[in-house]
Amino acid sequence: MASGATAPGIRALRSRRRPPLHRRGLLTLLLVSAFGWSLTAVPWGAGLVHANGAAVIGRILGALLRPDLSAGTLRIALAATWRTFAYATAGVSLAIALAVPAGVLASGVLARRPGVRAVSATAFRAGLGGLRAIHELVWAWLFVAAIGLSPWVAVLALALPYAGILGRVLADMLDDVPAAPLRALRAAGAREWQVLLYGRLPMVRANMVGYALYRWECGIRSAAIMSFVGLGGLGYQIQLSLDDLRFREVWTFVGCLVALVVLVDLWSGAVRRRLSA
Amino acid sequence: MARPAEAEAEAVAGVRTLAGTTSVPPPRGSRVLRLSAWAVAALLVASWAFVLSEENAGVGELLSAETLANAGRFLGRLAGADEDEPAFLNAAGWAEAGRLAWQTLAMSVLAIGFAAVGTLLTTMAGSRPVEGRRGWGGQLLFAAVRLSWVFARAVPELVWALLIVFVLAPGILAGALALGLHTFGVLAKLCAEVVEGLDRRPLRAVRAAGASRAQALLYAVLPSALPSFLTFLLYRWEVIIRTTIVVGFVGAAGLGREFRLRMSYLHYTDVALLLLVYVGLVLAVDAVGVGLRRLAR
Amino acid sequence: MFALEGVAKRYGPLEALAPLTLTIAPGERVALMGPSGGGKTTLLNLLAAAFPPDAGRLSIAGRPAEGLRPGRELARLVGIMPQGFDLVPSLAVVHNVLAGRLGEWGFARSLASLVVPRERELARTALARVGIPEKLYERTERLSGGEQQRVALARLLLQRPRAILADEPVSAVDPARAEALLALLVGIVAEEGTTLVASMHGVPLALRHFSRVVALRRGRLVFDRPSAAVTPEEIEALYALEDAGTRGVA
Repeated sequence: MASGATAPGIRALRSRRRPPLHRRGLLTLLLVSAFGWSLTAVPWGAGLVHANGAAVIGRILGALLRPDLSAGTLRIALAATWRTFAYATAGVSLAIALAVPAGVLASGVLARRPGVRAVSATAFRAGLGGLRAIHELVWAWLFVAAIGLSPWVAVLALALPYAGILGRVLADMLDDVPAAPLRALRAAGAREWQVLLYGRLPMVRANMVGYALYRWECGIRSAAIMSFVGLGGLGYQIQLSLDDLRFREVWTFVGCLVALVVLVDLWSGAVRRRLSA
Repeated sequence: MARPAEAEAEAVAGVRTLAGTTSVPPPRGSRVLRLSAWAVAALLVASWAFVLSEENAGVGELLSAETLANAGRFLGRLAGADEDEPAFLNAAGWAEAGRLAWQTLAMSVLAIGFAAVGTLLTTMAGSRPVEGRRGWGGQLLFAAVRLSWVFARAVPELVWALLIVFVLAPGILAGALALGLHTFGVLAKLCAEVVEGLDRRPLRAVRAAGASRAQALLYAVLPSALPSFLTFLLYRWEVIIRTTIVVGFVGAAGLGREFRLRMSYLHYTDVALLLLVYVGLVLAVDAVGVGLRRLAR
Repeated sequence: MFALEGVAKRYGPLEALAPLTLTIAPGERVALMGPSGGGKTTLLNLLAAAFPPDAGRLSIAGRPAEGLRPGRELARLVGIMPQGFDLVPSLAVVHNVLAGRLGEWGFARSLASLVVPRERELARTALARVGIPEKLYERTERLSGGEQQRVALARLLLQRPRAILADEPVSAVDPARAEALLALLVGIVAEEGTTLVASMHGVPLALRHFSRVVALRRGRLVFDRPSAAVTPEEIEALYALEDAGTRGVA
């Protein structure tokens, strides 16, 4: 373990040689010119804005001030909100179930031999990277094509990319755990899996729970757009109302989505604060 | 000058601990945490029960021989089992996909640019004041800006795109605006947190040296917040490049539009090619992001 | 330069400064001494017009202090020598020094200077005077504590206020450097004819470099006389009893 601890130490020392001041200016310049280049990619000119664009903006914004609050719409909105929430919750919970073992293997902390550790870490990190490189909606599309339309599409399409990102974060956290308590456990005769259960996992628990809660909030937004492959929920209702140009209904459903996200955000914020305290 | 009061509070707390019984009182937040754990458990059970009670949702059906055979057939088609000349073995196909990837890249850069400009313009108005207090006009602005952030953030890119194509012609600009709007909400909130957490002493010193508010912004707030801002910007760029394909579904532009078309025409090997290019683009942007973030530090 | 007439300040039940009457002439070098919590920092903040007194009249360079707001005007009168931590760490030294000119510059000029520094010669000369000319383009966070204090001093040189206020100017550096830094500060102040008011922990340092000592304890004036006339017994009495442990060693 001693060699394992010094190697990153040396790397850290080397990277502590800070870059000269100009680099950040260079980066800013680079980003600004990239933005300038991207502006040239837009076909500016007539036809960019629809002929009646201004009038439509007026209608959309006007509808925002008086969303449709009739009982019928609200009933639909409530059902759709619950469906979106349920998909998100099921998907993210499955993602966590997948991410924990995958993240542990991707961190390579179970392996004693450096060779085994490197292979396990590389293979699982690459796998997790592939999972999260593909957007959840693309996953959904592929799943619909492969297994047909079912709620499992939403759950699996959410679970795979979210497992990818959660697993990566868990692996990073497990790698960054302070070494001293782990050494103490090993000195007491613990084997690597015991070190994991009694040392690493308890130490990353608070951060990991906080991050999972944040991902839960993201999952709600993701679940809402699953409508694009034909699944129900808030996104589906928004799409239906937009197709019929019923903007007042659109804002009702968007409002439900905003409220749901804000509620989960506030709740998870409260939990995170108490966890880190 | 809160120091004496603080010290007093500490002293009182110390006395209470000493005088307390031998059992350690539970920390203040634990009740909320326990209730939250139960609530999460209940919501989990309810959600899974709901999902499994829907049509076509049995675990048996999911793992049935028919479903598995379907999935296998689909994967085979992606790999080009049904076609004599799969698109990913065709130079012209690659050239077209490359062009689309370039367009997608431009859209993502444009989007992050919009988000950055919006963030720079609103962060100060939406942060708790760095010095002094605001007049009622400033407080009204503060509330409005905060509300706009929450709204921009809570609505997914795709829904923004759906709304925007009512006004703008589908294309790079519409997609970038949709992406930028959502990212703006995320980025601005993060930056406001950075600004609120800044050390106030350099700012006070610059003000004491005669700087106006605007100058103090340039010389104390901006340079201190810039590294974090750039880091967030690059992180969000990586998120955006993943999402451009989704916004493309709404008919915007780039890989997403083509992906959707090929999928509905059942041109499976085209889809496979586009997926390959897409994943390549995402991984390339991730790698570039890592390099640029090193510059930002 | 400063005229106080029955100036007082309290924080809730705590009397930070009992009514104090005092005049400080231009060019004087005044050391504020006394145990911690004696009112030195409160007095400095009042002189800096950071907050108004609860009672009494305070005028700075003949003008009532309550009329002075942070900004160009006040910056020309009073400069504050920071304790450290008052520079922007991620900015180049040259910008931190040139921040002393912000009161004279317009917005456009300040913005342009962040890209290509303006009045570079001024900054270079100031840094040379404080003894670190080679650090002009260094990032400030990479400087040592003592060097950062010199940068802050260079900023004051550009600001050219008529009085400099310093709260424990050398408490962050080791004794040997403290002596050098203080000598530098006093030398510059003497050259420019600037008034200097500083709270000081180290008794010998204070007596060596300042012309006048104002001693405060529990918010009250204990004595106010030329440094040469201060006796060891008075110092002993000033720090005696409950505050005996807090005296500096430098």
